[in-house]
Amino acid sequence: MGILNSLLKAVTWWNGATLNTVIYTRRKGQKVGEDDQGNVFYRNADDSRRWVMFNGEVEASRISPDWHGWLHRTFDDLPSEKPLKHKDWEKPHQENLTGSALAYAPAGSIRAAGQPAERRDYEAWVPE
Amino acid sequence: MSNLRKINIDGTEIEVDGAMTLIQACEEAGVEIPRFCYHERLSIAGNCRMCLVEVVGGPPKPAASCAMQVRDLRPGPEGQAPVVKTNSPMVKKAREGVMEFMLINHPLDCPICDQGGECDLQDQAMAYGISGSRFTEAKRAVDDLDLGPLVSTTMTRCISCTRCVRFTTEVAGIAQMGQTGRGEDAEITSYLNQTLDSNLQGNIIDLCPVGALTSKPYAFTARPWELTKTETIDVMDALGSNIRVDTKGREVKRIMPRNNDGVNEEWISDKSRFVWDGLRRQRLDRPYVRVDGKLKPATWPEALSAAAAAMKGKKVAGLIGDLVPVEAAYALKQLVQGLGGNVECRTDNARLPIGNRAAYAGTACIEDIDSAKAIMLIGTNPREEAPVLNARIRKAWANGAKIGVVGPAADLTYEYFHLGTGREGLDALHKADHADALGKETLVIVGQGALREADGLAVLANAQKFAAETESKLLVLHTAASRVGAMDIGAVTTGGIEAAFDGAEVVYNLGADEVSIDAGAFVIYQGSHGDRGAHRADVILPGAAYTEENGLFVNTEGRPQLAMRAAFAPGEAKENWAILRALSAELDAKLAYDSLAQLRTALIAEVPHLAKIDEVPVNEDAALDVEPMGKADFLPAVKDFYLTNPIARASEVMAELSAAAKARAGEKIAAE
Repeated sequence: MGILNSLLKAVTWWNGATLNTVIYTRRKGQKVGEDDQGNVFYRNADDSRRWVMFNGEVEASRISPDWHGWLHRTFDDLPSEKPLKHKDWEKPHQENLTGSALAYAPAGSIRAAGQPAERRDYEAWVPE
Repeated sequence: MSNLRKINIDGTEIEVDGAMTLIQACEEAGVEIPRFCYHERLSIAGNCRMCLVEVVGGPPKPAASCAMQVRDLRPGPEGQAPVVKTNSPMVKKAREGVMEFMLINHPLDCPICDQGGECDLQDQAMAYGISGSRFTEAKRAVDDLDLGPLVSTTMTRCISCTRCVRFTTEVAGIAQMGQTGRGEDAEITSYLNQTLDSNLQGNIIDLCPVGALTSKPYAFTARPWELTKTETIDVMDALGSNIRVDTKGREVKRIMPRNNDGVNEEWISDKSRFVWDGLRRQRLDRPYVRVDGKLKPATWPEALSAAAAAMKGKKVAGLIGDLVPVEAAYALKQLVQGLGGNVECRTDNARLPIGNRAAYAGTACIEDIDSAKAIMLIGTNPREEAPVLNARIRKAWANGAKIGVVGPAADLTYEYFHLGTGREGLDALHKADHADALGKETLVIVGQGALREADGLAVLANAQKFAAETESKLLVLHTAASRVGAMDIGAVTTGGIEAAFDGAEVVYNLGADEVSIDAGAFVIYQGSHGDRGAHRADVILPGAAYTEENGLFVNTEGRPQLAMRAAFAPGEAKENWAILRALSAELDAKLAYDSLAQLRTALIAEVPHLAKIDEVPVNEDAALDVEPMGKADFLPAVKDFYLTNPIARASEVMAELSAAAKARAGEKIAAE
């Protein structure tokens, strides 16, 4: 929205697809599917190229293993048509949170939530 | 002296005793010789070969300087002094060769080895070794030993210097360590996989030049270069061993001995060395006041005013515990006596005579043990009361001194003549013939076990009389680090602890946890650990432990020594003298000093010999009146070596050692 967003889209590669990708997709892209995050997957006519238009931030780890396999030609079947078998113990796919606010912080880290654990170098005597 | 010999070391000619070894002569000349197996206080083994030097004109091979005496060297053709070279190409090559051999079977463990940073092998490999090794075959590996809860072993690192074997057999007097096998199969082992049964075993950790023997409680907790080292005095027994306390932040990480030939040579007992985990457990870190029968946390002003309100106008008895520095005892004495009360330091009922220093500290010093030809131990088991002193008596015994014991028979690690178990034995000594003792240096050591009964003063007088008959010096072996200092400042009551308690409504307990106090009295406890005294207290004032304040301690021979603060006291705990000074202001009986320096000035004005740090004052012999003694046997002064004071009782390591010692004692009875 607005000038700032258009400007960001024009000069950065991580806020949505770049101008070149948008033009190339309009000319040659054939939409093959969409995942539940709204990322749209394309290929060209002879299937020599497969690519994704991110819905939002361009972050490779947002792609689930199903679509990752198709993008990288591990298999040619579309996950929307022939989904991978998922075991019931598998957790849902999660993107890499490193660098984000939700990144893991070990206990004792100053980024950890709440007060750091109290450290005592001695045990005090308590009556009774 | 006729046996002085001239010797030329690296071009400097010096004159030394002919009986000296070359390594000692080199040290006199200021030349340092690398060594692993040689140690000043142990016998000479000569098996590491690191101390090789070149003797000019001698056989055309390097000689081990630790095993060759100066008088063994032949002078030159015109009577010139024999020449020794320590920096010739031959010596350099020899050292490099020895070091290469040493490193053949030594693992490259340094990054994970506790000895790293203070390792003789590391240092000497850097200084005298070469950068590579020509050895391409497989290294040998050695099984680790289980030596008990104190010494951790990694025997693959061992370079077979045998210092540990020599220490345990010669100084500690136990026969559990030895070396088996020859050549590559040579291993240090313990006999039948026994653990070490000695309260001096921690010293082999210091002696080990590599990381084969390291401290188990200290394992992997710190590196030597990140520790702050403070030189201070130990209070676990009355010997006043010189120690170095290593701290990281506020935590005491380890305790090591310091060299003082007059006191502990360079050994300390296991209790002194491993008690530090007790310094961080059961600590009193805030004041408490008893409200409606329950101890409740309080602030300092609340606690001080509660204590002052209880003390005002009441009859106060002050008790001085075993670990209290002289300054705190002096402040308590002034405070309590200013209020018309009594103080008492002889909390174990020892009948030590007031004001007679020759009788309560003795006329001998610890160093006299070395030259003594005969030593009589009366009512004492020095192995339990002061293990390092016992090692010194053992050294005298090994040098030919005869030892007599009057008191309970115990394993002292040396042979002795057992001359009775109690007072009859001491009586019989007067009648014995002393002719062979006269004119020699002899020593009588009296323990606290002999002095705690009602006739304790008579026993001391009889021991003194026996010392006079045999022209011996007298040493009173105390068990409490604070005792002689408190006696010196006169923190005593005529009639002992019963007289001090008599009619006392308030008891001011300065760290005395071994005393039982009657139910009636109001008790103010000042100390560092929550032990028996704290449970009985109505007001608790948290004080510093011995590593947490500067203080004077007078050891059993009467030598004043300065203890230094290594860390700060936990929580709100304060230095002991400062608590008493604050309380005195609350009581409107302000003590006349605001700093430790002012306190010491006042103290020294009253007791001048306390200013002479590390000097043993000569005590004029003042004989006590000899009275008849009772009939009973002497009782042991120390019931459990590992649990004698609140710090040791708070320590998990000490509890483990105590349990192990009890189990072992039970085993022996079963086997018999």
